[in-house]
Amino acid sequence: MVDTQALALVLAEPFMQRALIGGLLTGALGGLLGSVAVLRELSFFSDALGHSALLGITIGILIGVNPTLVLIPFAVLFAILVNQLVERSSLPTDALLNIVYSTSLAAAILFLSLVESYRGGIRQLLFGDILGVSSLDLIVIGMLLAAALIYLSLSLRAQVLLTLNQDLAGAVGVQTRWHRLAFIVLLAVVVAVSIKAVGVLLISAFVVIPSCAGRLLCRRFPLYVFVSSILGGTCALLGLLASGLTNLPSGPSVVMVQFLGFLIALILSSRVFRRPSTTEPAPQP
Amino acid sequence: MPNPVVVVSDLSVERSGRLAVEQVSFELPNESETAVVGPNGAGKSTLVAALLGLIPKKEGTVQILGEQLSANGDLPGAIRSQIAYVPQSLALQGRFPLTVAEFVGYGFDPPGPRWPWHQHQRRKAAVEKSLDRTGCIDLRNRLLSELSGGQLKRVMLSFCVVRPRQLLVLDEAQAGLDVPSNERFQQLLLELRRQEGWTVLHVSHDLDMVRRSSDQVLGLNRRLCCSGSPDHTLTPERLIDLYGPNMVPYRHQCHG
Repeated sequence: MVDTQALALVLAEPFMQRALIGGLLTGALGGLLGSVAVLRELSFFSDALGHSALLGITIGILIGVNPTLVLIPFAVLFAILVNQLVERSSLPTDALLNIVYSTSLAAAILFLSLVESYRGGIRQLLFGDILGVSSLDLIVIGMLLAAALIYLSLSLRAQVLLTLNQDLAGAVGVQTRWHRLAFIVLLAVVVAVSIKAVGVLLISAFVVIPSCAGRLLCRRFPLYVFVSSILGGTCALLGLLASGLTNLPSGPSVVMVQFLGFLIALILSSRVFRRPSTTEPAPQP
Repeated sequence: MPNPVVVVSDLSVERSGRLAVEQVSFELPNESETAVVGPNGAGKSTLVAALLGLIPKKEGTVQILGEQLSANGDLPGAIRSQIAYVPQSLALQGRFPLTVAEFVGYGFDPPGPRWPWHQHQRRKAAVEKSLDRTGCIDLRNRLLSELSGGQLKRVMLSFCVVRPRQLLVLDEAQAGLDVPSNERFQQLLLELRRQEGWTVLHVSHDLDMVRRSSDQVLGLNRRLCCSGSPDHTLTPERLIDLYGPNMVPYRHQCHG
């Protein structure tokens, strides 16, 4: 049973209101970009970027600059570096990502050991602090969501064709290199901005889980992108409310709600899109 | 309408640090069908990729519909929108949320950014018509990832025919198709080519099909080893020259 009085008290707090709006926007943004990232097999990229971001934060601490300010250029640089490595190297993408992310994670831990005390605390970096989201953070995330929405809407054809076959996309006039880089940089900025709220360890869940649930439920591409975004936002909102009521950590609460959403999508998809029975005719060649 | 549609002169292309295509020159006459044949690793797909501007060329020139392909593979949008391409496969791992009608609709849109609802009614009508022409109308609401190999290839032809184009390039489009699917695809391609007036360039390993359908054959093994009509090019001697001594050429009796 939900304690409505406790809920009203929680919702009355300005920091909680900011957290809820921040969670809604971050979740929607993760679902929006995740819908394309998952199809393009970039799930591991967001995970690797999340872990590597720790190095960006550490550099910020060492040079005495707000880590959030260092994080965005660091993430963009990481994205461009990985993109170049993938394009120029003959090694598989997941192996390259593993090399880059474990090296930057190791460097971050080494650098952090040099810092005697960090006010923010390592726990906050790892699991995020959605309650610490400021009004400025909300404006940045909101603008990013609008930019991502406009970019994906205008380039939907390019994104689909690029995902299906890069040569097909290039042959019909899609600027493949530009779009690949633009998407990966956008994803990197979103991951960097969301880390403050979600944390390094759980950021990939915001990108992967809602879009996988959306993929199970939708048949049309624009609807899939929209549903993934809505699921991301809704799960984040519900997770934060649950966290506020139960006094449990916010990031993990959101991820658990996302997982619940994924299970529901799995059940719905198996009922709605059941496999063809053996009595149905085989597909014609 | 320019004739020929494609002019390739002294084209050389590097791939993975080695010269994959060397000093190749040919022309694709208007409304003709040209097949590129040759052993694995001969540079056939590299030639196609360079011709479409997907990879940079090292030397030489490519002219498509009277326009030069730039060094970085750019072509004016008006020329690019005249090109259709059928790749060997699409990345459709798992459940891909894209219906056949949506996919074909993306073939209708010209290059460049636009809102998804732009020209919605015109696109819808063109998609219905093209799916009807390729016998895929019943598949319009199916997911692309649910189709059989033969169905997918016919849907790809719908993608090409959804609006008028002049040049169709196929890179081993029939790979993986069984005999009936291959026959049906060939028949449809021939029909559409005649109706649309396409100039076709296709890479193929099916020499029997090449003999039956092509006007011109390019025998490629890094360099152009032979070119001309199928009867002139696909002789046992030339095929052994092209593929090596293990090649055993034969012709189906039924096709004479």
